[in-house]
Amino acid sequence: VYQVFENVAKKYDVMNDSMTLGIHRVWKDILIHKMNPCPGTLLLDVAGGTGDIAFRFINYVRSVRQRQLQRKLKHHQNLSWQEIFESYQKDQFNSLGDSQVVVCDINKEMLKVGKQKAQHLGYSEGLSWVLGNAEELPFDDDKFDVYTIAFGIRNVTRIDLALQEAYRVLKPGGRFLCLEFSHVSNPLLSRLYDLYSFQVIPVLGEVIAGDWRSYQYLVESIRQFPPQEELKAMIEDAGFFRVDYENLNFGIVAIHSGFKL
Amino acid sequence: GPAHGRQCHRQQGSGSGSGSGSGSDSGSARPQPPEPSLLRFLVCPLSKRPLRYEEATNELINEELGIAYPIIDGIPNMVPEAARMTRKKPPAEGSEQP
Repeated sequence: VYQVFENVAKKYDVMNDSMTLGIHRVWKDILIHKMNPCPGTLLLDVAGGTGDIAFRFINYVRSVRQRQLQRKLKHHQNLSWQEIFESYQKDQFNSLGDSQVVVCDINKEMLKVGKQKAQHLGYSEGLSWVLGNAEELPFDDDKFDVYTIAFGIRNVTRIDLALQEAYRVLKPGGRFLCLEFSHVSNPLLSRLYDLYSFQVIPVLGEVIAGDWRSYQYLVESIRQFPPQEELKAMIEDAGFFRVDYENLNFGIVAIHSGFKL
Repeated sequence: GPAHGRQCHRQQGSGSGSGSGSGSDSGSARPQPPEPSLLRFLVCPLSKRPLRYEEATNELINEELGIAYPIIDGIPNMVPEAARMTRKKPPAEGSEQP
């Protein structure tokens, strides 16, 4: 698995756009909206190497924070200009409202790409990068408000261990969110999807990334991954409550959610 | 000089305050310290015990087990394969990583 991702790291974003016709961006947007984080949230994004989820999270809490500040100022119409100016100064250095995201990935190349992207796009505050194993996280218990794993859990050898670790590092009341390829139950769509996956995607992999085999692997790993109900059961086994899932695009991907009580 | 043409909220003071991305451009051989806020969360992946940051070697050290995790390009490598032993005698357990 590691070598697959070394190869794909640099072309990861381009391939995602091509394979999913850009729709993966929408899926990730939906994930963050479902999360609906408020400022001050502490997020652990696992297998999030290139930063897609992390950046969206930061954008989201930033805009929530903006609205918070605007509302606050509206209520203080009788402040002097000096006081208003000072409150802007103070809040300028807290544009994220103490929100933080830690990106943890097992692959150095993916993290490097992510870090470079962050610099390039101007993300610096509230963002950290750690090389770690989802089955053996280097974080203490009861630390995070939200744990996300987007298109990463199917690459984990022991999913049960990763889920247990997710449970461990979440605070009580914390939320687990998993965005992953899943199963299409509609038979016609399923055939079309298979055709696309096995005929088109490895070819795209060859053309764009010069790597047929890695993308063949990706497609196969999707097929072998447990379907919605089975994953739901595994998440419940790890101790999560109120586990449910939402299919996107007829089950091509699904968002599973659970809570630690 | 450093090639930061980017807009960052925080100034690029080395090692002070939060905000990553301090000068990790090509060719910089200076070891990058980890972000201070990150140190609050990190523990040893094996024993889940706290770690000590050693500035001299830019490593995170688990004194109990006698292992040190390197920090490469500002990214802590928190996998046992990357760690080195700090003592001559190895600790009792071996790491069974797949």
